[in-house]
Amino acid sequence: MIAELGHLLAFLALATAASQSVLGLTTGGAPVRRLAVATGMFTLLSMLTLVISFVRLDFSVELVARNSHSLKPIIYRIAGAWGNHEGSMLLWCLIMAGYGAAGAMFMRGGKLRDRTLGVQGLLTTGSLLYLLIASSPFVRLDDPPLDGGGMNPLLQDPAVALHPPFLYTGYVGLSFVFSIAAAGLIIGKIDREWAARTRPWALTAWSALTIGITLGAIWAYYELGWGGWWFWDPVENASFMPWLVSAALVHSLIVTEKRGGMAAWTVFLAVLAFCLALLGTFLVRSGVMTSVHAFATDPERGIILLIGLGITGGAALALYAWRAPKIMAGPEFDPVSREGALILNNLFLSVAAALVLVGTVTPMFAQALNISLSIGEPYFQLTFAPMMAVLLLFMPLAQASTWRRTEIEPLLKRFWPAMALAIVVAVGAAVLSGKTLWLIPGILVGVWVVAGVAMDLARRVGPGGAGRVFRLPLTVWGMAIAHIGMGLFVIGATAETAARSERTFPLRQGEVAEMAGWTFRFDGVGSAEGPNYLSTRADITVTHDGKTEVIHPEKRFYPVAGTGTTEVAIRKTMGGDVYVALGDTIREEPGVWRIRIAHHPLIDWVFGGAGLIAIGGFVSLAARIRRRVPVTEQAPATEPEVTGKPPATAGAPA
Amino acid sequence: MIAALIMAFQVMAEEPIPNPRLEERAQGLMREIRCVVCENEPVSQSTADIAVDMRRTIRTQIEQGKSDEEVRHFFSDRYGQYVLFRPPTQGLGMLLWAFPFALLVGVAAFLGFRSFRSRHRELAPLPDNGRDDVSG
Repeated sequence: MIAELGHLLAFLALATAASQSVLGLTTGGAPVRRLAVATGMFTLLSMLTLVISFVRLDFSVELVARNSHSLKPIIYRIAGAWGNHEGSMLLWCLIMAGYGAAGAMFMRGGKLRDRTLGVQGLLTTGSLLYLLIASSPFVRLDDPPLDGGGMNPLLQDPAVALHPPFLYTGYVGLSFVFSIAAAGLIIGKIDREWAARTRPWALTAWSALTIGITLGAIWAYYELGWGGWWFWDPVENASFMPWLVSAALVHSLIVTEKRGGMAAWTVFLAVLAFCLALLGTFLVRSGVMTSVHAFATDPERGIILLIGLGITGGAALALYAWRAPKIMAGPEFDPVSREGALILNNLFLSVAAALVLVGTVTPMFAQALNISLSIGEPYFQLTFAPMMAVLLLFMPLAQASTWRRTEIEPLLKRFWPAMALAIVVAVGAAVLSGKTLWLIPGILVGVWVVAGVAMDLARRVGPGGAGRVFRLPLTVWGMAIAHIGMGLFVIGATAETAARSERTFPLRQGEVAEMAGWTFRFDGVGSAEGPNYLSTRADITVTHDGKTEVIHPEKRFYPVAGTGTTEVAIRKTMGGDVYVALGDTIREEPGVWRIRIAHHPLIDWVFGGAGLIAIGGFVSLAARIRRRVPVTEQAPATEPEVTGKPPATAGAPA
Repeated sequence: MIAALIMAFQVMAEEPIPNPRLEERAQGLMREIRCVVCENEPVSQSTADIAVDMRRTIRTQIEQGKSDEEVRHFFSDRYGQYVLFRPPTQGLGMLLWAFPFALLVGVAAFLGFRSFRSRHRELAPLPDNGRDDVSG
């Protein structure tokens, strides 16, 4: 019965979502709010029924039969509910409806909220229709099997169990940003207040997306067994494009909120971010490319997704074209100013997003035209990385700049110690490691950002003791944490990419391998049995600096799925990870195993830096929630208004 | 049959090149050449037998003194341009490499020109006490 109940709840959600969109776009008011909350509740309950079916191993439900198994540990039975196409689409609907319900509860009343909930209702209706027509998770089997088909063992992992919920909170959260943008365009009010009300939602989505992407990278690092964390794979790019655009958005929203500038551009980004999220979903799910994410690729579903993308994007662009000319330009400013700095940020981030888009779809078009072409890591390392490095050179200066006009010479004078430190550290690191080409620019930029942001923070604290540190506004903290995280990330990513080392040793029992001051004695392999896998475990005695310990890299075989995974053994040190993976035996030489040993310098800085970026976003969000004063009352204290009509420059860069 | 076994045996033993500089170049190439039987994996990560074979070929060729470009050509001649994660720098490939920078410079120039033209008067910076800030 429970699956039928879930199905019914999804239909109820469809009905309330449809009514929510009709009422939201027409009369508005309290009923829209109640409908939005109801849609959220119905999808939540519907998801719960699916989770219950998975936990109870109800193999009469086709989805459970295909994706679960009685031997699977409980946490992965729960996560299994969204570890497949249909379940993940239900999660998509849940999060979309959840944002609608949250909007109904937390947005101030008025026309903007009504229209926002209306548009969100439309998007939710579309998603639920797609779910019910093309990918229902509640289909029953007439003849249920005795046990299920299991799940891709690579996905049986805590990081990847949490990856979809976070990723979708980001990805799908952009739908709500889209809805507020569309609502603002419909009522013809894209102004400072609109920006102030959009910003918390944009911050939520962007921060969650950051966490989702980072979890995916961490998972790739230790689960795929080769120690890479980002490969510019089309699937990774699909989530990275909306990230770049929403990163630009959370910055341009500042200009729109504080100064009323860039409004037309900001609303364009708000629309674009969700369109790119839809495009990403299409690329991943339609089967135009294959990957671990492409469960159940189906061209027919791909076509429906493409139509959805076309309608959503087309309608939004038409709305934009109709309203954009009426959006007011903001007050005048000098190119050298905080406004100018944030425009620079947006210029670089949008060009970077265009770069990733072209680099991702070009090989697909090439394939369709029978042209043999791949675009991968080398391309992005030589185009994307230098572009971001140049952008980050401006970051500390931008943080210290003033609105409307900035005197640049005092800034340069103030920050020279940070630059000097950066040069010393970068050159020192290059000399010590003997790798110059990639290391110098990356370390230079990273140290410059961290030191510069710290200096700016010190200036904001001002003289008068450490106690003042805690009186800095949360928004300042949010910005500083995210920016320092960015600097640490760049340092880590540079060191990891330029200075990692790896070697594969064929070892017989008792043989010793040496690498970078560490010795590894291979003491043979044994067998072990997990809940739903068979494990081959190696015993390796590691000696370093007189300390000895035994580590156990594993290979697991999952009989149900018929595939295996590599469980690497990682030893953390100050300078990075020592990473040991057990390879295959060598058939012609019985008793010899391939052991891959790698050193990943500063890898924790990569993930830690990315985590700080997300935390910074959440701190900024907390600052917004703490002080919910209408924007008009918190205008910058002393602004001698510029008289007369502001010239066109003050508007958007588009 | 025996010859094949011996070949296979040689393929299996993966010894790095003794010269660390050459080994580093070889590993760089392994990261940008695609394993021909896997999805989206470079030969450096793949555990497939053919990848082992390809890694060995790369090392052998580097040891023979071939340049990176020659090794890339060796593989693209056999498996097509698809096998290289680095798109070509000739012909239309050049466009691919140039467009991000062209776009960046183009838009920056446009914005710069527009703001230069309308820079009528001296604006005063807005006061900043360091505490109210960027975003709050």
